[in-house]
Amino acid sequence: MIQHFVPTTLKEALKILDERDCYIMAGGTDLMVQKHRGSGLLPNFDKDVLYVMNIKELDYIKTDAEGNLRIGAMNRYCELMNSSLVPDIFKTVFKEIASPNIRNMATLVGNIANASPAGDSLLPLNLFNARVVLSSVKGNREVLVEDFIQGVRKIDRQKNELITEVIIPNCDLNFYYRKVGSRKAESITKVSLMGGYKIEGGKIKDLRIVFGSISVKVVRNHFIEEKYQGKSVNELRARIDDIINEYDHEIKPITDQRSTMEYRKKVAKNLLRDFLKHVK
Amino acid sequence: MKMKKFDTSVKKVDNEEKMSGRAIFTGDIQMDDAYFAIQVRSEKAHAKLKGIYVPKLPKDYYFISAKDIVKENVVNIIASDWPVFADKKVNYIGEAIGLIVGPDKGMCMYLASLVKGEYEELEPVFEMKNSYVHKEFTKGDVSKFKSAKKVFSEEFTTGYQEQVYLEPQAMLMYIQNDQIVVKASMQCPFYIHKAIMRTLGCKEKDVRVIQPAVGGAFGGKEHYPSLMAAQLATAIVKIKKPIKMFFDRKEDITYTTKRHPSKTEISAYVDAKNNIIGVKIHVGIDGGAYVGCSMVVLSRALIAATNTYTFENVSVSGDAYCTNKVPSAAFRGFGSPQSIFAFELFINHLADYLKVDRMELRMKYLVKQGDITSTSGLFRDPIILKELVDKAMEMSDYKHKVKLYSKEKSYRGIGLSMFLHGCGFTGSGESDLIKAQLRIKKDKNDIVTFYTSQVDFGQGNRTTLKRIVVDTLGIPEDHVIYDAPDTNETLSTGPTAASRTIIIVGGLAAKAAQHLKSIWKDGEEQEIVEPYVGPAYIKWDEATMQGDAYPGYAWGVNIVEVSVDPVTYEVNVEGCWSTYDVGHAIDERIIMGQADGGLAQALGWAYLEKEVAENGMFKQRTMSDYAIPTSMDLPVLETEVLDNPFKYGAFGAKGAGELTFVGGAPAFALALEQAIGKKVHDIPATPEYIMELMNHEN
Amino acid sequence: MKISFVINNKKVSLDVEPSMRLLDVIRNELHLTGTKEGCGEGECGACTVLINEEPVNSCLYPAINAANKNIMTIEGFRETNEYRVIADAFADRGGSQCGFCTPGMILVTYSLLKKNPHPSEEEIRFALSGNLCRCTGYQAIVDAVKVAAVKGIKL
Repeated sequence: MIQHFVPTTLKEALKILDERDCYIMAGGTDLMVQKHRGSGLLPNFDKDVLYVMNIKELDYIKTDAEGNLRIGAMNRYCELMNSSLVPDIFKTVFKEIASPNIRNMATLVGNIANASPAGDSLLPLNLFNARVVLSSVKGNREVLVEDFIQGVRKIDRQKNELITEVIIPNCDLNFYYRKVGSRKAESITKVSLMGGYKIEGGKIKDLRIVFGSISVKVVRNHFIEEKYQGKSVNELRARIDDIINEYDHEIKPITDQRSTMEYRKKVAKNLLRDFLKHVK
Repeated sequence: MKMKKFDTSVKKVDNEEKMSGRAIFTGDIQMDDAYFAIQVRSEKAHAKLKGIYVPKLPKDYYFISAKDIVKENVVNIIASDWPVFADKKVNYIGEAIGLIVGPDKGMCMYLASLVKGEYEELEPVFEMKNSYVHKEFTKGDVSKFKSAKKVFSEEFTTGYQEQVYLEPQAMLMYIQNDQIVVKASMQCPFYIHKAIMRTLGCKEKDVRVIQPAVGGAFGGKEHYPSLMAAQLATAIVKIKKPIKMFFDRKEDITYTTKRHPSKTEISAYVDAKNNIIGVKIHVGIDGGAYVGCSMVVLSRALIAATNTYTFENVSVSGDAYCTNKVPSAAFRGFGSPQSIFAFELFINHLADYLKVDRMELRMKYLVKQGDITSTSGLFRDPIILKELVDKAMEMSDYKHKVKLYSKEKSYRGIGLSMFLHGCGFTGSGESDLIKAQLRIKKDKNDIVTFYTSQVDFGQGNRTTLKRIVVDTLGIPEDHVIYDAPDTNETLSTGPTAASRTIIIVGGLAAKAAQHLKSIWKDGEEQEIVEPYVGPAYIKWDEATMQGDAYPGYAWGVNIVEVSVDPVTYEVNVEGCWSTYDVGHAIDERIIMGQADGGLAQALGWAYLEKEVAENGMFKQRTMSDYAIPTSMDLPVLETEVLDNPFKYGAFGAKGAGELTFVGGAPAFALALEQAIGKKVHDIPATPEYIMELMNHEN
Repeated sequence: MKISFVINNKKVSLDVEPSMRLLDVIRNELHLTGTKEGCGEGECGACTVLINEEPVNSCLYPAINAANKNIMTIEGFRETNEYRVIADAFADRGGSQCGFCTPGMILVTYSLLKKNPHPSEEEIRFALSGNLCRCTGYQAIVDAVKVAAVKGIKL
């Protein structure tokens, strides 16, 4: 028989995780779908389940002394969308995730833990160089979201660890974001792109580009981004085709029931071109 | 805020029960001792079924299969070729080889997963190449085609469409007073009734079908519930316990019937002066593993194949093809949306080919009262199609926009479709096959009760049919009782299908009420059974497809405006304007509901809803992968109905249920063509398809 | 596990598995069948209930997450004045056809108007975007929300 644990303190939760391998349930919007067996039946859990939504100390949205935004594991999209502390670009992304009902249940940390290549929140998190805090009885460690997600549903989490927090550094850029899905709401991303840039004195001070749904994880190439730092806007624009070519090997989408490889690849490049044209 | 006024509308009788959550749908019926039935399904698309391995079942669990058939292993659908349980052979993935029935659903599912068919695989066929129904007819003299100076030919395809009624298939069956009682999400109580009688070989009185609230149907609950009923009936005579079979959404999308995919080839034969000598059309539809009702779907597709245009010489043929996939069946429009989509696009493309104005060519061949139909019947009644076009153009500012968007790279377009829909069953089907009889009675207190087998699954017919009787009798509304069908009380007034409810059953209800009124005696019990008598002019030969196909036609115009994002190839529907001739609209609010809902579904079919089968298995099996429109995908839908009372309909009404679906896809596709400057031949026009079009030469 | 919550203004304590779908708790344990199941995967919104006045899909909601919260289903909401205003608006505009999505639509309408008494067309469509309807094309529902907003739901 599997067991269910409903800790009310972090300490209690970490102790349970230290003793056993558990599914971790937050809002349930991914896990309850994945384990769904049918109407009137209990979800099909094959190991113990730990529920985190009663750990009140993980319920917060705040900024720390360094100006980082810190979000607890319990916090749902709807709360983030209503918080004045959350950058607008995140809200733009959240608005297009699932549906209002789902956003009243789903947590940001859950989206990270689910590690889907189509996870929309991963784009701004990646672009902002956000970090997750993993807690265990041994202590805390921080990992960049970019590194934390290793592949399709693969994350750098030990069995005894709980993602307790997301840390989002301040990031003063101009943004571009496009999500392409099957329809205008409740749509799973076919391909997406977020770009961020900063221009000072006609020169590129910062350039960041993140793709969604075109590979096993969200794609960001720091090498290419750095290559164009310090270049003039005119040079960037003159080299749009080169840049698109440089990303070619990164864009490795698949064909599935929602779209085709050809479409994803073409649109990813179109979006990149569209973003680069926006840089001014 | 733009608001419609519903001067002719009354309060819908089922409003309060549905809004308050009090309406009892099949799944809401409390019957705790009911067993669960789970279909055990074929994993092969085409194979000999050499045996079935069944594990040792715990007490109270049963495996029901072809061996348990009482009388006939056939589902009573028109063609009668679909078995209740596969026997010796399976013909599609998902075909039921049996049922596991027992008290615990989880256990039933587990046991069902252990049951294994022993198969010897046969070569499956997934393409449209093996015809199992062929039909053809001609009009005029098709030998004149040979004199053509130019021939223009094109091919069009349409995809599967899943009904996505919000309530999945659900059925509950139990035994009460020596009757098998069925409560289910259904369209046609007497189809279920007959299906059970046929497989069990029992009498009419042995079966009772009662209709609970039904959460949408759109054709999807016309035939499939007959299969479920035949399966459960086979089980219940053995087990003698209440049984329920409720489909989860994934099962429903994956294994129940859908709209037929189609491939239509059209050629126009044109003389030196650009006159169309005639057209030749072939419509192919993918019927899936069993014919079921595909021959009738094909009929409707063929009869509608020249849409709203009259040509002197016409050759029409079609085939329904057998493939090793889930059988296709009824869905709003029943074949005609497929062929009309093709012809509406074709005639526009033909105009381009002939270098003449699109609208001019269409108007030149536009059907008029007195024209001969493609089946050599007669368009008897006044046709106000031109008025419908003018009104829709005015509402949408069409003429201005069509010019404005014709400049290159506007990525915006507007399209106009015209269409018709024949109301009621094809030809003499109403008089010869259905033979509707409507029972109406009055008690000593002068309270009138009438019965129909029509199901209100959202269309509002419970309200409108009652209103027809109330207004005809001229008595207060609360003196008339009209409940959902119960086959113990109701005589069959036919299925809830084919846009026949108002034009046929409504007419019959008015006639019955008139009859009662004429013999009315205060304070006396009176009862009448009124039989349907079709208009005498209807002469139809099914074998040759000649004559008057329908008692009457409803007409419509849709205008759709779209924009296309050249970066992502996504489409935004910017506006929709529609005009309809449904005869006289008895209740405008109900007609508007049909208008909006039909068009929304049509747009879904045109560009959002993609369902493809790979090796006989559907790839889109959930509501996230099979995307129907959300509230954000649709614009404001503007509709007007023009009055054109129909002589033979109740209060002048014709049908409206299916008509509103027919024109959405071609109007959308024409708008899309203008936006991207390419010709469209296939739907759904997904962004993936639009990308291909935009990146290739025509 | 014992789980307590308030549903339709009544305090309830139940012994259920924490992972049980709230929808099954509501329909099968409490026999409140006005909440419907259309897909079981959080897409259609037929199972919408309000939790602390926010609409959620009860088909994905683990029962334990409802502990000590305030749940409102259509059975509770239909006793309120706000229901009357919204239901009349739906009747007026023809916002309910087959009725399967309707309880969910009505609860979402309430939650929207409570936060935003005078929503724009776009805001209405956004708020309804997690509740699918296959009958109406949404037009009549959007119009009904507008009518209810004009009347004001008197909060």
